[in-house]
Amino acid sequence: MSEILTVTDLCKSFSDQPVVNSVSFGVRESTTLGIVGESGSGKTTLVRSILRAIDPDSGTVRYNSRKGWQDLHSLSPKELLPLRREIQMIFQDPFASLNPRMTVQAILEEPLIIHGIGDKESRKQRVAAMLEKVQLEPSSASRFPHAFSGGQRQRIGIARALILEPRLVICDESVSALDVSVQAQILDLLASLQSELGLTYLFVAHDLRVVREFCDEVLVMYAGNVVEQGPVEEVFNNPQHDYTRLLLSAIPSPDPDEKLEPLARDGLQLEKV
Amino acid sequence: MSELRELSPGRLAWLRFRRHRLAMIAAGVLVVLYLLAMFCEFMSPYTPQQRNARAINAPPMDIRFFDAEGQFHLRPFVYDLELTINPDTWMREYEENTSIAYPIRFFARGEPYEFWGLFEADRHLFSVDPDGSGYIHWFGTDSLGRDMYSRVLYGARVSLSIGVVGVGLTLFLGVLLGGFAGYLGGMFDSAVQRMTEVLQSIPTLPLWMALSAALPAAWSPITTYFGVTIILSLFGWTTLARQVRGRFLAMREEDFVIAARLIGANDTRVIFRHMLPSFTSHIITTATLAVPAMILGETALSFLGIGLRAPVVSWGVLLQQAQNYQVIVMTPWLLLPGAFIVITVIAFNLLGDGLRDAADPYSSLREQ
Ligand SMILES: Nc1ncnc2c1ncn2[C@@H]1O[C@H](COP(=O)(O)OP(=O)(O)OP(=O)(O)O)[C@@H](O)[C@H]1O
Ligand SMILES: [Mg+2]
Repeated sequence: MSEILTVTDLCKSFSDQPVVNSVSFGVRESTTLGIVGESGSGKTTLVRSILRAIDPDSGTVRYNSRKGWQDLHSLSPKELLPLRREIQMIFQDPFASLNPRMTVQAILEEPLIIHGIGDKESRKQRVAAMLEKVQLEPSSASRFPHAFSGGQRQRIGIARALILEPRLVICDESVSALDVSVQAQILDLLASLQSELGLTYLFVAHDLRVVREFCDEVLVMYAGNVVEQGPVEEVFNNPQHDYTRLLLSAIPSPDPDEKLEPLARDGLQLEKV
Repeated sequence: MSELRELSPGRLAWLRFRRHRLAMIAAGVLVVLYLLAMFCEFMSPYTPQQRNARAINAPPMDIRFFDAEGQFHLRPFVYDLELTINPDTWMREYEENTSIAYPIRFFARGEPYEFWGLFEADRHLFSVDPDGSGYIHWFGTDSLGRDMYSRVLYGARVSLSIGVVGVGLTLFLGVLLGGFAGYLGGMFDSAVQRMTEVLQSIPTLPLWMALSAALPAAWSPITTYFGVTIILSLFGWTTLARQVRGRFLAMREEDFVIAARLIGANDTRVIFRHMLPSFTSHIITTATLAVPAMILGETALSFLGIGLRAPVVSWGVLLQQAQNYQVIVMTPWLLLPGAFIVITVIAFNLLGDGLRDAADPYSSLREQ
């Protein structure tokens, strides 16, 4: 499979504090790349820089659009607009990411209006079809976000991201805020949409078990640096880096009789890249 | 229950507001006051400059249903006032003359007026028989025999509208400057920030005085009115601008705003469809709480004789007549405009509290 996104030497500092430090990676089409790392390691900053929600200090982000390779950061807002259709994001917090003053219909219709897709009637049909796809009742359209549970709101967020039929979807801890059974439902949904529509996911997560199950490749970040990357099974079965080993040892085992290994955090030596 | 789920945040806020009893009462009081002010020509029995030589400094007349013999009359009436000079103090004193009663007529003909400067009319909501023999002053009269009730209503028009016009101007300046400062940041933000700091560090009363003193005395009443309004709002916008700026700065980073940008919305759409709507309830509340300050500002300036001047009638101008202690002792009804100011200010504050609680149910929790 060919690559759909290539990030090279991406750097971003906040007040002279490097938060993303020369990160490079590539994502192949219709696969899922997991990004893991502890809180504050720069995952959100990294994915938001890719989308230009944050302006990075240096580095290039190249995207293989339907019309060929594009450098996302050298485009004018006008040139960027059609690419926004192809790259979408699902947010972490299902409560904060929906405008509380818009109905579900208005929320889902807005991307279509902005990109000038369809007329009023056909947009309505698309919204209804999308709601069905994310397993929400058709009557949801006339309601406001406050009338939904966390899991349902996350489905609305997914519907908003997918209604433009994107090719690359960035999920920034999109399931972390949900409880385990809802998490499983949403992950199933994402997986079935992937096989149906051939989506590519960039999947930021805390939970390593979720990553192992859901991702094809994984990228481990520590303090703004990528310390390890590769196919999930390889990294999980044979971690090369101390930090990865530490992360893996922190996964609680389902077997209650197994003893916890002491965390060798203090002795950990990380060479700064 | 299923209906509740379809309600918009606006409807929910209205439901919460309705539970706020005091705020509902305050809203009712304000509606009445503003209606009286809007239609003051019709609502008042006299025009503000009309003099009654037979009732100078007359006390408020009682509106009665029972006559001196204790008999009930369906149509309310007032008794004639008889002037006596107290032989000990030489003071003018009025006593009710129970042999002459003036029945109150509704929609009676009276002094002609120009309604909103549009057309001539002479109907008044209530008055006494228009043959010229009777009179009704249920708020008393001033030292020239002018009806206080009519003057309070005409004054309400000026004072209450200054509050709204002034706040409108304040809102415009505050939202515009604060909004751009918050959204654009950088140089413009710093400039606006410094300007508000300077304006906020100057004590307002001396500054108002200086500026009002600069208003040419030759200006017509209407120009002075706008001059005073502009002076009041020129210093009122800073607080709102700071709040708007803060909210914009914070909201720029909110997920749903970033989400809007990521689906391709441009700046105008982000500001007007996503940022401002979640801010309107706050703006309305702030505006409501700012109106009394404007009204008090006008009153204070006029009271000191540097705001509006007679023949314009405003509550501040009316209170100017009540500046000495003689008034308080002998004709205390001249202080009635003060009571109206107090009621208006309290009503606006209660209404603002109710609106704030309704718009943001968590705010009262947060403040504890
Ligand atoms: N706008 C900002 N200004 C200053 N510092 C910031 C800003 N945004 C992020 N940071 C800092 O950058 C670092 C990385 O933040 P980031 O949100 O990318 O971490 P993360 O890996 O996504 O963490 P989490 O797993 O908790 O979401 C943090 O130390 C944070 O304080
Ligand atoms: Mg994050």
